[in-house]
Amino acid sequence: MTNRQRIACWILTLVAWHPTGICYADDGVFAEVVRPVFQQSCVKCHGRDGKVKGKVDLLGIGGTADLVSDLERLETIIDVLDEHEMPPEKEPELKPGVREQLVLELRKLLHAGARAEKGYAPTPIRRMNRFQYNNAVVDLLKLKVVVFPLPEKMMRDRSGYFRPETGKMPGQLVVSSRQLGKSALIEPRLAGVGPFPQDLRAEHGFDNRGDHLTLSPMLMEAFFKLSRRIVQSSNFDKRTVGIWQEFFVPPGKKEELESEVRERLRVFLGRAFRQPVEKGLLESYVGHVMGQLKSGKEFPGAMKEAVSAVLASPQFLYLYDKPSEGGEAELLNGYELASRLSFFLWGSIPDDKLLELAGSGKLVEPEVLAGEVRRMLLDRKLKRFCDSFPAQWLQLERIISSLPDETIYRDFYYAPPNYRTSMDMMMEPLLLFETVLIENRSILEFIDSDYTYRTPRLRKWHGEPTKERLGGPVTLNFKRQPVSDKRHGGVITNAAVMTMTSGPDETKPITRGAWIAGVIFNDPPEPPPADVPPLEQQKEGTETLTIRERFAAHRERADCAGCHAQLDPLGFAFENFDPVGRWREKYENGRQVDASGTLFRKHRFSNVVEFKQALLEEKDRFTRAFAEHLLSFALGREITPADSPALDELVGQTISDDYRIRTLIEGVVQSAPFVSRSSGISRKTSSSGESKPAITEKQ
Amino acid sequence: MESFGKEAAVAKPAQRIAWFYVPIGVVRRGFFPGEAAAGIPKFTGSRKEMAEGVRQIPVGVSPLELTPTMKPLEKMREKVTLITGMDRTFQPGTDVHAQCASCFLTSASAFEVTQSPYPLDRSLDHVIADTVGENTPFRTLEFSCNSHKDNKESMYFDNISWYGTGHVAPSLRDPGEAYRRLFGTKEIKAYRNITDLVLENARHLRRQLGYSDQQKFNEYFDSIRTIEEQTEKLEKMRGELARARIEEPPEAHLPRGEYIRLMGDLMVVALQTGLTNVASFMVGPERWDTPYLFESLFQKPRSHHGMSHNQGKYIDDLLKVDHFHMEQFAYLLEKMDAIREANGTSLLDNTIFTYGSGLGDGATHQYSALPIVVAGSGGGRLATGKHVNLSANTGSVPKKDGKYQKVEGGTPLANLWLTQAQAMGLKTERFADSTGTVSQLMA
Repeated sequence: MTNRQRIACWILTLVAWHPTGICYADDGVFAEVVRPVFQQSCVKCHGRDGKVKGKVDLLGIGGTADLVSDLERLETIIDVLDEHEMPPEKEPELKPGVREQLVLELRKLLHAGARAEKGYAPTPIRRMNRFQYNNAVVDLLKLKVVVFPLPEKMMRDRSGYFRPETGKMPGQLVVSSRQLGKSALIEPRLAGVGPFPQDLRAEHGFDNRGDHLTLSPMLMEAFFKLSRRIVQSSNFDKRTVGIWQEFFVPPGKKEELESEVRERLRVFLGRAFRQPVEKGLLESYVGHVMGQLKSGKEFPGAMKEAVSAVLASPQFLYLYDKPSEGGEAELLNGYELASRLSFFLWGSIPDDKLLELAGSGKLVEPEVLAGEVRRMLLDRKLKRFCDSFPAQWLQLERIISSLPDETIYRDFYYAPPNYRTSMDMMMEPLLLFETVLIENRSILEFIDSDYTYRTPRLRKWHGEPTKERLGGPVTLNFKRQPVSDKRHGGVITNAAVMTMTSGPDETKPITRGAWIAGVIFNDPPEPPPADVPPLEQQKEGTETLTIRERFAAHRERADCAGCHAQLDPLGFAFENFDPVGRWREKYENGRQVDASGTLFRKHRFSNVVEFKQALLEEKDRFTRAFAEHLLSFALGREITPADSPALDELVGQTISDDYRIRTLIEGVVQSAPFVSRSSGISRKTSSSGESKPAITEKQ
Repeated sequence: MESFGKEAAVAKPAQRIAWFYVPIGVVRRGFFPGEAAAGIPKFTGSRKEMAEGVRQIPVGVSPLELTPTMKPLEKMREKVTLITGMDRTFQPGTDVHAQCASCFLTSASAFEVTQSPYPLDRSLDHVIADTVGENTPFRTLEFSCNSHKDNKESMYFDNISWYGTGHVAPSLRDPGEAYRRLFGTKEIKAYRNITDLVLENARHLRRQLGYSDQQKFNEYFDSIRTIEEQTEKLEKMRGELARARIEEPPEAHLPRGEYIRLMGDLMVVALQTGLTNVASFMVGPERWDTPYLFESLFQKPRSHHGMSHNQGKYIDDLLKVDHFHMEQFAYLLEKMDAIREANGTSLLDNTIFTYGSGLGDGATHQYSALPIVVAGSGGGRLATGKHVNLSANTGSVPKKDGKYQKVEGGTPLANLWLTQAQAMGLKTERFADSTGTVSQLMA
């Protein structure tokens, strides 16, 4: 059974279910498996005698219904058990096999509970972000230039290497780095068109999150301005505008003018609004253009005016789904699916082929959908996915503002003050990502790969013998090279990551640990407590300590220990990489680096190579986390427990296909949350969801 | 007696209100009277050192004592009031810096908003503008001086002004753009003829949406209506605006002080000319570790936040930053006080202009004993030139078992906001978690 059929089935089955009084086949599981563990190992701190650590009260859970009444709590319980966080180290460990069985049973309950929700969290209606807007305008008008420069893009292809259709990344390629090589990034663009402000990322999320993308008068004014400036740009003409001939050139026969205008607008509006334009709307545009023409405006000018209105119109600017009946999951229609797909993989509006398949009703057929995903993955517009997802997933923006101490790391600044080795560094993980994607490789290569792309400067940085010219700063020459040294390869020990998770003159193991927890395991720590003490730096006698020893004070405090138990092993594993990502055996003070630890309290490691091995032992957990990042990006919203069954399923498919990235991406697209819409049923009763204050008070 | 008659004939100048938000708290010993001899916070879990050497200021009204950080206010000392002992409540679950800024002016109490982890709702500036913003082209104006180019932090670190929960009122941060938005009306006219068309589109779209999407999508109608009203009002004011004679700012990179003052000048001229009666000004974003070059202070770019975590090492530099921010505030006060209004009072006299931060100290990250200075009297409604202390527990907040102890006797910051809202003519008895007004501040 395909996913699609499967969710259609659920929808049918679930209708009969009562929303709250779900009847679980077997409450015996609770009595036999769950309750005994809770009683023996958990309630001492979570419920008994009024003690409710972490606000989790397990004593109050009397049966299955209680467990599934709060799926987020249930998911947390599963996570802390699965990751060996609970019971804590000082308490007796669960008997062998108990943990595994408990996790298994709880997960089943989670899935049942998630299915019973009948719907997924909806992504609210939202305007396009700046990156999507630029791409959409380019695609709509088939521009041969960009609308405005986008600093969001970290890399510019200078050698035409990005050819997904070949299924192969070349051995050598040339790119420019956005970081500070401003001149390297000035692409041909529309003259006189300024951008609107960049949209900030959600915390632990992406810059396309629906709940973060709102409109204000100021932004609306920017959209109005843009809509005019684009069509009035001095180089908005037949050389830059791909649809010039078919759209702006006056039709030959005068007598057919109105019908020709109507036909041109019908096609254009259909593409702009990503669905066939309704008659009334079409006629208002036709009327507008004809009115302009009658009042003496020349043809291209009148059509430009229509384009201008389209670019400011909400049907173009907003992404949205129609509401579903009663908030239950429903399959998207073809046009909605086409938009969701194209904004996911191309950061833009669907092309004609997608719209055609949407119109004929074929796109919703799973085989056709799979074929389209494959086609889209081979299209060069895939570069937009590579310009947005990986850099945000890896939080690479942070490298831009990393400024290692120039008195210590003088060679980091190779043409001071602007050009830094970080320009080369940040390209390396991005190129690895593109390679995995274009060559359809295993996502485990993000943890450990046996090849990488490096410039001569990076080779020298890592102590490889090189006699080449170091190159840069405007164009960076990358060469693919094998990696046999297990300390390198993958994204996690990449110099950019190591540098951006360090301070100017020392590493920040906790920051590194938080990066691994958030990026690799999608389990970002709680926000740091308000009163993180500074490390004792100046105190007498501390010069001989290692950073691990100086952190000891944090671990000794009860209120700090919890997070440090989770983050420390993740972060200290990288201690052999100095603040600019170079290998070291010893600290400045001569002390030996100690990078040992235990991952999830089960995999012991003594150095970063063993740590990477331990991460690979947890490869399915990484796959699940990566899938969550991807699904969150694809849907423009946070992942909720209701997505859990779908995620588990697509992760399973990916695992059985050797962790290949395209299988994962196809799985995301075929997953129930992706192909369906729901108006959303609030799981928790919301007391104040009703009145949303507006820009102006009165409605 | 004749003069009385004349005065009565002159229209009373509009009341204005503005806020000057300083990120990342202050160094307490430099800012607060009585704390100069206090210890420097180190290991902030035990704040013993901070409590030592503190001279407790009596609750109530005291003479205004200008501490080193407040020294720049010397010329304006008769027109400012220092308020100490005000607290906010931290709602766990979000970053302390993000919440302290984004919720500084919010109308929500902790744990009151369910659809967001932030206790965030329509902010004070917009609540007040709902009453006093109807006749100005801009109901409110938001300014900020965040010039960072890296997309590092979320919007919650970078905004203090909100239309509602999650609905940010973005700020002007480029002087050139701010200028064009305030004084350039040409382009607004140009897109009028497409407005009808897009509004028709919008009504069409709205019909297809579910309930909650319809609510959110109202932002589109609101935005267009707001722009239209702006345009209309701006056109009526064109003659007046031409007299304001402010030059278009240069596009060049400006040193930090000049940047702040230039944005401040734009805010002052907007208040002066009646472009708006309500403005907020965020000096810089919260946290955001990216260093700035404080040209006049340090040779190299510095991260304000980075330094704040280590007062032991950077206290002198942090004090310089605090002093620098106060200088910018004082510059704006002096500028506003030099502007005469129709009845002979100054722009500052008719404004309530509040300096404040969401943290009581940049190192301890406490939400209590916040640094607040209220300047101007809002047209004679507020008393100035004194120190109002509202808590017997000014200073650091004790922590026990990893949790802040509830500060007894602290006064919610919302009480000040309620006082200001009432002074601006709002008929309301409550704002967020307010428990009353600050009577000592009222004239």
